[in-house]
Amino acid sequence: MRYEFNWGLLWREPYFDWIVEGILTTFHLALLAWILALCLGIVIGVLRVTNSRLLRAIGTTYVEVFRNIPLIVQLFLWLYVVPQMLPREFSFWWNRLDNVPYWTAMIGISFYTSARLAEQIRSALRAIPPGQFKAGLSTGLTQVQVYRYVIVPYALRIIIPALTSEFLTVFKNTALALTIGVIEITATTRRIEAWSFRGIEAYTVASLTYIATTILVILFMSWLERRYQIPGLIKRGEARV
Amino acid sequence: MSQPIIRVESVGLRFDSFVALDDVSLSVNAGQCIVICGPSGSGKSTLLRCINGLERFQKGDVWVDGVSVSGCQDLPKLRRGVGMVFQHFELYPHMTVLENVTLAPIKAKGLSRKQAEDLAFHYLDRVGIVDQAQKHPGRLSGGQQQRAAIARALALEPKAMLFDEPTSALDPEMIAEVLYVMRDLARGGMTMLVVTHEMGFAREVADEVVFMDRGRIVEHATVDEFFSTPRAERTREFLNKILLKL
Ligand SMILES: Nc1ncnc2c1ncn2[C@@H]1O[C@H](COP(=O)(O)OP(=O)(O)OP(=O)(O)O)[C@@H](O)[C@H]1O
Ligand SMILES: [Mg+2]
Repeated sequence: MRYEFNWGLLWREPYFDWIVEGILTTFHLALLAWILALCLGIVIGVLRVTNSRLLRAIGTTYVEVFRNIPLIVQLFLWLYVVPQMLPREFSFWWNRLDNVPYWTAMIGISFYTSARLAEQIRSALRAIPPGQFKAGLSTGLTQVQVYRYVIVPYALRIIIPALTSEFLTVFKNTALALTIGVIEITATTRRIEAWSFRGIEAYTVASLTYIATTILVILFMSWLERRYQIPGLIKRGEARV
Repeated sequence: MSQPIIRVESVGLRFDSFVALDDVSLSVNAGQCIVICGPSGSGKSTLLRCINGLERFQKGDVWVDGVSVSGCQDLPKLRRGVGMVFQHFELYPHMTVLENVTLAPIKAKGLSRKQAEDLAFHYLDRVGIVDQAQKHPGRLSGGQQQRAAIARALALEPKAMLFDEPTSALDPEMIAEVLYVMRDLARGGMTMLVVTHEMGFAREVADEVVFMDRGRIVEHATVDEFFSTPRAERTREFLNKILLKL
């Protein structure tokens, strides 16, 4: 028996609303997780190159823990185990939140991603000539200011291509959030399939969402890379202009 | 009057068991220009870094305008008072020249952007590259980059300037333009401590010359004395070597 496509179904209620809802959830989950991951990743990456042995140890532990436990396991840990370990009042408050799975997913994905980002940022920081740091300090900037205004902005520009692929990973990893009950676009598709037995149409929508977004992100990031490339700095085999 | 701007007293510094500075003493008075020379690894850069607290020493102390470096509670403030120029410029490549020069005056000293830019333009003009203000360092020649780095240090209106081999990464034709700026500064009364092997510069501009070897000051003399009758054997050897090379 041949499968009969029924694309029109996707425009009907309630499916259409579900799809829009699912896509939006995927988007803001990915974005929020990304922003948090980037902030954490920068801080942890910097910790890993400081002079203080203690701070370096903290950074290393963080990275090894969050990078080496599979994301799906981390999501379950955040959902079921961590709230048990926190003070009672906090877990009360937490469990009464509107959308616990959503916030759990956001925290889980961003911690996992931040560990990976921290590694990227650490290697970029290592690639920056140590004289930059001395120069900054010699003008009377504090260590924190040197990182904030000189070293980190410099490092971020070097790793824009790596950031692009990390963002795309975050974006795709949001699909795992369905395992703890977040109705993002992939979960939505499964729901549509269950209701209408129209699996192929639904999965096509999800796939197209991922592909289209990926392309847009790549375009945006290559624009960003051109906008923020460091003039006169030789990079990736390009000739000096 | 006449307390020296920079006073280094019996400074000793070890990296593990390696003695990088051994009982080094040196004073730079206001308006003086002192040149330090010596073979590679003799501790010249390390000495400069001790003066603005970039390197921790174990013995002795350094005073900058009367403030002790080892006991200093506010190193950023002390460092603002001592400009530093590096062999490899160390301009921030992702910022324009103007941003390079205004960063510390704004963030460390708390000037407004307007005040900082006025200062920056003044000093960029003084080193002769005011027309390059909006470019990134990567677009400038080596000589222009080093002059931008000098302007960056001057914009903090320091009491003294430290130069660490400012011309040794430059092509010969650019060395002159940087030395010209430095000469101009010295004539203008800036207190300067300059690590360099440009003996022509030393002869013409410096008041005193210091020769270092293996972490010690082997010779410290006025320019005339230094070039006419260097006493230490080691100094003579070194001078012959670099003067022949030139
Ligand atoms: N952070 C450090 N750890 C260990 N040894 C160091 C460190 N910094 C410098 N040294 C050593 O201290 C000695 C003095 O170094 P310094 O850079 O002051 O020499 P220099 O006179 O400036 O030489 P050059 O002409 O090559 O610049 C060298 O032997 C160097 O290897
Ligand atoms: Mg040196």
